[in-house]
Amino acid sequence: MKYLFIDSATTNLVVAIINEGKIAYIYDNNDGHDTSSKMMPVLAEAFENTGLKPQDIDKIFVVTGPGSFTGIRVGLTVAKTMAYALNIPIVPISSLEVMASCSGGTALINARRGYVFAGTYDEKLNVIYPDSYVLMSDKLDKPYISYDEFEFTVEKSKIDVLKVIKKHENDYPVNPHTLKPNYLKMTEAEENFNKHDRKS
Amino acid sequence: MNVLAIESSCDETSVSIIKDGSEEISTVILSQMDTHANYGGVVPEIASRMHVENITIVIDEALKKANMNMDDIDAFAVTYGPGLIGSLLVGLMAAKTLSFIYNKPLIPVHHIAGHIYANNLVKRLEFPLIALVVSGGHTELIYMKEDYSFEKLGGTLDDAVGEAYDKVARVINVPYPGGPLVDKLAFEGEDTYDLPIPLNDDSYNFSFSGLKSAVINLAHNEKQRGNEIIKENMACSFQNRVVEILVKKTMRALKDYGVKNLIVAGGVAANKGLRKGLTEACLEEEINLIIPEMKYCTDNAAMIGAAAYYAYKRGDKAGLDLNAKAVTELK
Repeated sequence: MKYLFIDSATTNLVVAIINEGKIAYIYDNNDGHDTSSKMMPVLAEAFENTGLKPQDIDKIFVVTGPGSFTGIRVGLTVAKTMAYALNIPIVPISSLEVMASCSGGTALINARRGYVFAGTYDEKLNVIYPDSYVLMSDKLDKPYISYDEFEFTVEKSKIDVLKVIKKHENDYPVNPHTLKPNYLKMTEAEENFNKHDRKS
Repeated sequence: MNVLAIESSCDETSVSIIKDGSEEISTVILSQMDTHANYGGVVPEIASRMHVENITIVIDEALKKANMNMDDIDAFAVTYGPGLIGSLLVGLMAAKTLSFIYNKPLIPVHHIAGHIYANNLVKRLEFPLIALVVSGGHTELIYMKEDYSFEKLGGTLDDAVGEAYDKVARVINVPYPGGPLVDKLAFEGEDTYDLPIPLNDDSYNFSFSGLKSAVINLAHNEKQRGNEIIKENMACSFQNRVVEILVKKTMRALKDYGVKNLIVAGGVAANKGLRKGLTEACLEEEINLIIPEMKYCTDNAAMIGAAAYYAYKRGDKAGLDLNAKAVTELK
């Protein structure tokens, strides 16, 4: 089986092609370019490098969040469009699970004003604390893993894409038309609207 | 040449299949207007969220409606700007992905070029022409010597005309989107309020923020005196000043450039006051006036597909690193 893996939810863009259980190509980089212009050239490079065509892919694994709203949409739009056009299954993956995939721990993404997107996974990627948008606190299990800088100690995230894919290889695929980002956070306009609604 | 075009620059997710820049095979438009009406205007993050949820559904609908599949498509086109960056990116990434998968050309289209070429779906454009582009985000006068050649003569220095309508609508308590309702009220009222003609000079530029402020101040002063604003009359006075200046500068551009063809494009092209003003002036000056059907006035992908054909003929082709641009001049 040939799989495509896409994660553009964090500052770190990951595009990988997995061929018969092995990583045939991986781009795992944080070089500060914008994901929207970088994503497709990286994808094209991945196919060229492996001698495969998009039509050869059997299944897509795509990170649906949490993370940068725009980043999530960039990768998810590409993945949804491919899955729809090529009529292949698509499986949603958590950005935090990917971040914690090497050895487990609590993956953190800075969500500003003291808040984080946090999720705790053990080394087998079982969920210990489900992905949430929360105020940062000591109650979250260490070690902390992140790409972001915090005032406390965090380990730089290292990822194991194969481990993530093996964990989710038999997940039930979703309909690409209805696959949505997992922002874990309403827009500010919606929050204000709800607050206002409750008051009146 | 069949072009599958995608437009997602604001709050409409739209996909069309257009043959040779003039024949509309299918168009699907999913408007988010009802959602944004809750907030009194388009909320960019909500718009982006809705685009990503709907994009593949709209593509699929457009193909089904055309009774076609991807093998029938010769090129993909997309609005790359100007617009809301998060919204633009969804359409852009989808178009780049399709272009990559099927190894077909990717044609980048400027949103304003699209509005202009909406008219080409009704009747083949005749050159040279002057285009008056009026919408919620744009107010521009453009000279076109031939296909896909754009010379900007002038534009708004502050608010777009549609934006001014929406703001005035709020002042006189007309719900979002206020433009069409202000237009309707204007025909029910009389021109009784003393408002200035905005930027009444020799340039081809426009300015609507002063006029908008004048409306706000007048409404405020009347309120202080304990008087109610007469909505219909305020709408009428405001609309008359707007139409006067748009007609005046457009007619002067036609005269200065010796051009006999005028096309109007963009959402505000649906404004009845403006249609009336331009129709009368063009009749008098024997100008050939083309105003698109209502369905082509608002944002849609058909116009992007029409423009794409001529963009491609000019040699416009994008690579996979094409990025969206919130602000970009038409060239």
